[in-house]
Amino acid sequence: MKTADRKALKVFQELLENPVNRLVEQAAGDGRIPLGYSCSFVPEPLLMADRLFPVRLHATGIAGTEIADNYLSSLVCSYTRSILEFAFDDRYDLLQGWVFVPSCAHMQRLQDNLEYLKKPGFVHTIDVPRKVSEATLDWMEEELHMLSDRLASHFQVDMGPDSLDKAIASWNEYAETVKAVGELRKRPDPPLTGTEFHAMLMASLASPKDLIMPEIRAFRDEVEQQGDITGHRARLMVVGGHLHDPDFIRVIESQGGLVVADRFCTGSIPGLMPVETNGRGPVRALAEHAFRKTLCPRMMEDFDRRLQSVIDIVREYNVDGVVIEVIKFCDLWGVDSMPLVTALRDKGIPVLKLEREYRLGGEGQLRTRVQAFLESMGR
Amino acid sequence: MEGNLTATVRSLVAKLPETAMKHWRSSLPEYLLSAKDLNSALIYLKYWALNYFVIARFMAEMDLRLGPVGSLRTLVGNPWMFTLLKVNALMRRYGRGRTGRYLESVCLALHTVVTGIIDMLRQMFYHPERMVVSEDLVPIDIIHAMGLDGYLLEGMGIILPIVDPGSATKYIDTAENEGMNPDACSLPKTTVGMVIRGHMPKGVAMLSSNLPCDAGAASYAVIQRIFDIPTYRLDVPYNFHGERAENLFMKDVKAMIAWLEEHTPGRMDWGRFRRICENRNRILELELELWDMIRLRPAPLASEAVWLSHLWNVNVTPDYEKSVRHYEKIVALARKNLESSTPATVNERYRSIVWNPPFLHFSDIFNWAERTYGLTLINDSMTYHHHIPIDTSTPETMLRGWCRTVMEGPMVRHTRGPAENYLDDIFRMVKQFDLDMVWVANHVGCKGGQAMNGILREKCREMGIPLLILDYDLSDPRIVSHDNMKRQVEHFMENVMKAERLDH
Repeated sequence: MKTADRKALKVFQELLENPVNRLVEQAAGDGRIPLGYSCSFVPEPLLMADRLFPVRLHATGIAGTEIADNYLSSLVCSYTRSILEFAFDDRYDLLQGWVFVPSCAHMQRLQDNLEYLKKPGFVHTIDVPRKVSEATLDWMEEELHMLSDRLASHFQVDMGPDSLDKAIASWNEYAETVKAVGELRKRPDPPLTGTEFHAMLMASLASPKDLIMPEIRAFRDEVEQQGDITGHRARLMVVGGHLHDPDFIRVIESQGGLVVADRFCTGSIPGLMPVETNGRGPVRALAEHAFRKTLCPRMMEDFDRRLQSVIDIVREYNVDGVVIEVIKFCDLWGVDSMPLVTALRDKGIPVLKLEREYRLGGEGQLRTRVQAFLESMGR
Repeated sequence: MEGNLTATVRSLVAKLPETAMKHWRSSLPEYLLSAKDLNSALIYLKYWALNYFVIARFMAEMDLRLGPVGSLRTLVGNPWMFTLLKVNALMRRYGRGRTGRYLESVCLALHTVVTGIIDMLRQMFYHPERMVVSEDLVPIDIIHAMGLDGYLLEGMGIILPIVDPGSATKYIDTAENEGMNPDACSLPKTTVGMVIRGHMPKGVAMLSSNLPCDAGAASYAVIQRIFDIPTYRLDVPYNFHGERAENLFMKDVKAMIAWLEEHTPGRMDWGRFRRICENRNRILELELELWDMIRLRPAPLASEAVWLSHLWNVNVTPDYEKSVRHYEKIVALARKNLESSTPATVNERYRSIVWNPPFLHFSDIFNWAERTYGLTLINDSMTYHHHIPIDTSTPETMLRGWCRTVMEGPMVRHTRGPAENYLDDIFRMVKQFDLDMVWVANHVGCKGGQAMNGILREKCREMGIPLLILDYDLSDPRIVSHDNMKRQVEHFMENVMKAERLDH
């Protein structure tokens, strides 16, 4: 597969080397307030009001989780263990607050252990319901108001409607820009790889949006100027939970499977759909947006929507095969992928289910699995 | 082929003495020969006969109601029912070394489960048109109040390994072979395996919830696709304390009632619901009285009389008159022991609780620990609660009280909210029941529990509470064997507690 050597990509890769990168340091140095969060149900625009800015918690480059294992045990998902390990190493000390969602048992207990061991100054839990109805939307709106009030009083920031509207407009602009780049992958020969796109997306989630926007625009221009990627064996979609390290996608693509669609927690589909301000106030709009743009197996009564979204994306992006990646010990994805695999295969869509650890390991094994998958598709 | 057959026969012959010994040790003659006194022998004999009698009566009744062909078909379609015939072997394991009223309370607890299961089988086989299947933490009170029958899908996944330790493994294998993650909790795996094999009643509708854990809740997406029946899911808020959470959950429960009226022949009968809530209140009153008595050292009753009574009568059949009567008998036995200063075990040297569900496939480990170290199991996290009586004055107050009971229920309270929900109850129990140690049943599939061990270990160390974290798998004895579990206890008792063995 022929790929280009891009200058902007190196910037994104460098920004992902540390959980708190130089742009975060720069913003914090300017008196702004970085807040860490770990779940897609946390509305980023709410954490972008006034001097606040969100930082998606990641632990790329983690080497081992020996200390975290003592607390969380080695039978808990390696993402949460990695975050706790980095917290032990004071790698998140620049963050001034943590916002959690009890997305799963692992995440709940990560918060419990973090509070017990590190005692951060500001921790908040958004109690996101597990199904969507008028009553749970009202509840979610109240939850976001509670978070908003706490942020306002703790950090002395303006969380009023005008401030939130401004943050939403800014987030929408960011989302539209990134989404437009992502949609270039719909072309028969896309101008960028999945690795490049994911590096850009992850870097943007881990940085202040306003500071990384120029880099995103530069990347887009570079992509548009350079030629298309040719010679790929198949077009793949990756589906699953947390996937932070672009190198995971690089290994898949090294076998000729071009990743053209990303429907995982830190992916762009459908996470980057714009927030629709509907005249009922910005907080309500964010509550509705959180449910609409997040497809997670923690949500009950939502399997059919999750399945249909994969089928729709397969058609829209002309995908040849789906790779489902599940972090070992993740019960939500581990169980949900069981009917998902069956249903997709019933629809004639080839599926490869990969169990993996948070950090990239077993590269050779991964290559072999992908290669065999591509061959099984006759590619 | 011939070689394989020969090897199989040889293996069976080689195992013959071991198998014969196992059967002998579970048998009635062995018990009668080793009984400590005539009274205990008569108590055991009575419940042995009663268990077989109710099972035989049910088989005969099924033959009459369904006909010989229908009856045979039912047995072939639900082969797990044969496991239940081993109930007296379980009673033998529970009864070992126990005498008098303690033995009677344990036998009674088991017999109540047997009669309860038979009632459930009657509903399942005779009235499938009004059967609503539900997840185990959605109590079936409302289903019964609507004139419907309920079947807890996880029920047999819990009961089967208690009766016969290896009986869930084939279902676990089925679920894993169909793609369920092997590291998931073995209870949902057993449930999914039974559903895949068609060993579960399908019902006309299904109720589930976001409880108790991720694997349990997620497994209902699988079950729903197999059953293809209308499903309603209750959503208990993570922060379940306070009126705001109660209001949200009540709205959900009201919507569930309306949904059941739409999808089943059931209609809500608030009078019947009041009687159910009154039964719950009466059981609560009796259970608290029992707890007050077992606080004392030595405890007048313990172990299965406490945890098995609660597991069945509060979680599965709280609305039955039989459950109230069961608790009345248990409390009466405890009171008599207390009044006559008769301890459950004459050698009560240590008192413990077990945190997390009891070891399903090795629930008689407490009997072994009792005889080996004088260790008495006083209470457990599945039994312990903070319930208050349900106000039965109006439908609204009843529903609010019932919702509060569900939200404060076992495994609900400890799997959501901050760590304090989990830790505070443990330390409260240590004081309330005058404990010498805490056992954690460290089920490998329970991620929420695993991730609390680090904090718990440090807190227990600070407070000087000996803590045994006993590794095992809830329903699968292949993961950690019974011998290994015993060794973990031996190491703890001998190295940490410096305990002397009583069986030397």
